[in-house]
Amino acid sequence: MQATRRAALIFLGACFALASPAAHALDDPAAHTRVTTLENGLTVLTLVDDTTPVVSFQMWAHVGSRDETRYTGLAHLFEHMMFGGSKNVPAEGHAQLLGARGGEVNAYTTNDYTVYFDDVTTESMPLVIDLEHERVAHLDIDEPTLARERKVVLEERRLRTEDSPMGRAYENLFSLVFQALPYRWPVIGWRSDIEKATVDVCRGFFDQYYVPNNLVLAIVGSFDEEAALDRIRRTFGTLKPVPNIPRSPTEEPKQQGERRATVYFDLRAPILAAGWHAPPTGHPDGEALDVLSTILSEGRSSRLYRSLVYDAQQALSAEGGYWELEEAGVFLAFASVRPDASIDRVEKLFFDEIERLKREPPTADELDKAKRQLEVSLVDGLDTNHELAERIGRDYTTLGRIRPLDERLERIRAVTAEDVRRVAQTYLVKDQRSVVHIVPAPKGVPPAGAGESTP
Amino acid sequence: MKRRLALGIALVQILACANGHWPFAEKPAWELPAPPPPETPIVPPGHLHRAALENGLHVLILEDPRLPRVVLGMAFRRGESSVPPETAGLASFTADLMERGAGDRDALAMAEAIDHLGASLSVAAGWDSLTVVTSGLSRDQEALFDLLADVVLRPRFDAAEATRARGESLAALERARNDPSTLTSRYTASAVYAGHRFGLPLSGTPETVARFDAAAARDFHRRVALPNDAIFFASGDVNVDEMLAKVREHFGDWAQGSIVDVGAPPPAPAPPARRIVLVDRPEMVQARITLSHDGIARSSPDRIPVSLMNSVLGGSGFSSRLMETLRTSSGLTYSVWSDFALRRSPGPFVVSTFTVVPETRKVIDLLLAELARGRDEPPGEDELSWARTLAIGQFAMGLETSTAVVQSLVDLDIYDLPQDSLDTFRSRVRAVTPADVERVAREYLHPDRAAVIVVGPAKDIAPQLEGLGKVEIVKP
Repeated sequence: MQATRRAALIFLGACFALASPAAHALDDPAAHTRVTTLENGLTVLTLVDDTTPVVSFQMWAHVGSRDETRYTGLAHLFEHMMFGGSKNVPAEGHAQLLGARGGEVNAYTTNDYTVYFDDVTTESMPLVIDLEHERVAHLDIDEPTLARERKVVLEERRLRTEDSPMGRAYENLFSLVFQALPYRWPVIGWRSDIEKATVDVCRGFFDQYYVPNNLVLAIVGSFDEEAALDRIRRTFGTLKPVPNIPRSPTEEPKQQGERRATVYFDLRAPILAAGWHAPPTGHPDGEALDVLSTILSEGRSSRLYRSLVYDAQQALSAEGGYWELEEAGVFLAFASVRPDASIDRVEKLFFDEIERLKREPPTADELDKAKRQLEVSLVDGLDTNHELAERIGRDYTTLGRIRPLDERLERIRAVTAEDVRRVAQTYLVKDQRSVVHIVPAPKGVPPAGAGESTP
Repeated sequence: MKRRLALGIALVQILACANGHWPFAEKPAWELPAPPPPETPIVPPGHLHRAALENGLHVLILEDPRLPRVVLGMAFRRGESSVPPETAGLASFTADLMERGAGDRDALAMAEAIDHLGASLSVAAGWDSLTVVTSGLSRDQEALFDLLADVVLRPRFDAAEATRARGESLAALERARNDPSTLTSRYTASAVYAGHRFGLPLSGTPETVARFDAAAARDFHRRVALPNDAIFFASGDVNVDEMLAKVREHFGDWAQGSIVDVGAPPPAPAPPARRIVLVDRPEMVQARITLSHDGIARSSPDRIPVSLMNSVLGGSGFSSRLMETLRTSSGLTYSVWSDFALRRSPGPFVVSTFTVVPETRKVIDLLLAELARGRDEPPGEDELSWARTLAIGQFAMGLETSTAVVQSLVDLDIYDLPQDSLDTFRSRVRAVTPADVERVAREYLHPDRAAVIVVGPAKDIAPQLEGLGKVEIVKP
């Protein structure tokens, strides 16, 4: 699975606009996480909640598309290989064995990390641990599996990108926003690279990144903690660490002016996509950008909905939001242009709203509303084992620690109207933006298709 | 051509391979029999409360104080199935307008009120129900309750909002006109259910939506928003007595009415001759493919054996026969699934996948062959055994949150199914025999009359369909 857009709003904390904040009475479940580090560097995060007899086991590999050096899409292709069988388990056996017990087994790859998850009923925990260890310890990387997964991934790419206008919008936007950082290529990779990746390349990637000191296990739900840790020590504990995990040295040079692209696609409602450089994850401006995103995009009283969808009736949807990555961030904007409307008019209305945020700070009322919306989204994010495991897994993988709820709350609480204006002025600058229009080809231009020749 | 690797066989293979390679004294868990899943009750004793008001309103409250949040809702037991084809989409349009102003608040004031609570409110129409749901922090439950009551009892149906909603719906339908997923489901429905409401999209067509106005929505609301045809539900950090008092205060005086009929009679079985529809999208690099025919009703006594049969066929992700054939052994697709759409009247059975254009025919042939095998070689005890385990496991997974439990209970009420259906589910699954599955496979799988719908470049696909039957080529 490819990265889906991770809305920055989802886990980004909360604030209290009222005198009696709910979350003061809220016990952050993640605060009870037990962190165990094995001698080989493997980190195990365990959090027990016995309410329902289910558990989410997630294996976070700190490797994503940004770690690819020659073949783009390798991290994701490799994620598929992880289901292709190992010394003691046949192809798809992992997913089938757990799936047959009702478990939800899957994985996804992002620019920065790859996550394998097994959401299962409690009695399957020993099986999950053994199966996850088995594929990390004894993965089969052979030509028949690679040949098959190459085909599967190319179908995934056709589905999500080549025949999808939104997929095209993301792919083109990221390759405009980033010219140097490895974020410039799509997580699923370029078609040519998927076609040409070899068994040796996959093996090298596996040996470099699928090592215990580059993995975090996050386990949340109803399970026997001591038994699980004991089993993990006896299985994962035997894996050998590597001394050095390679990372790209590249930094993004400063953008020297607005970048624009027009992409032709057979569609009825054009898509406006824009992106500005923003700070990486963990930056002190993150919370102000979250509040700004919420003011612009969250709910039917948000500014973009009001302006573009409701008042002008030019767009079917319009939203902008801060997207954090480890080495950089992007402030993303998307609008679905009504078939009878002009994309240039939608772009002007959209950027007018951005300019307004730079001219005048939001009202106290808007600020309170946005903080409250963030607070509720935070509480909602505590509902399932899967979401909790994702939160602690991501925090530990990307920040090396679990951010307490209170810390996020305090930082969001501290955001002022002037902060919102300041971050708008700092980051949402015309010279620093990239704009993509996905539009139908003009009459007379032959369709480009996806560049695939059919035999 | 067909490779049979059912899970039973896969397990034997695992056992064989594992012999001698495992480095630890203890056997790996996959060599041991699966331990039984815990038989915990669906909800902790004392947490679920049911009531009925004198006007017939059903009330379901599930206490779950773990998080300071609540979900409140009202489900009406009528939806798009209850409107004739000429007004297809009216329930959806009504739902849309109910979100746009109620009580003293117009559309903008309502949006402000919801967003100020950080809450969500949605009104959605399905085939058999129209549901209002709001969620937010439990400290705001008074305000949330007031909003819910306004939307349920006092939607405004402002004319200006109706014009706006109609314009948005028409624009969204125009946007969807060449969207591959929309085209696939639209032509699948029309091939199987021509002339019936099920043959048109849930939210209507440009022709039907263009006729909607505030009066039409107001009338539909008046007919279906009846306490004697509705279920109030609440879950989360709620106090039962307080909640019941609020329900009585807001909904106790709500007048009963006569329940509208359920709409058109059940659709006829799919046409006996196979229909093949090729929807031309010249620039696509992938073909979207579905096979479809008539299926079963939500309340069918065969529902559980059909569900187990379908798990083996294509309803269970990586474990299914279809996934094995089309992905694991051949790499022809990224995903394939089969599903019986469960509605009050029998809805469609659909098999769906996609593949690179030149492989279209091969995939269609494999799908048809798997459907035929579904009848000719129905799951024996080996496959059925894991299908039972899967169903019981998925059942537990699907009830992790109190919201999910309440939604399942509301669903039972919408379809007039026994209240204890969740409690008895596991034993009903265990009671299914291979003979049951064989019988339902023969009764409900019909590869001979399954319609075939393909969306993609017609010039490359049409030649591949030769010999399959008469092909109707349509331009979206």
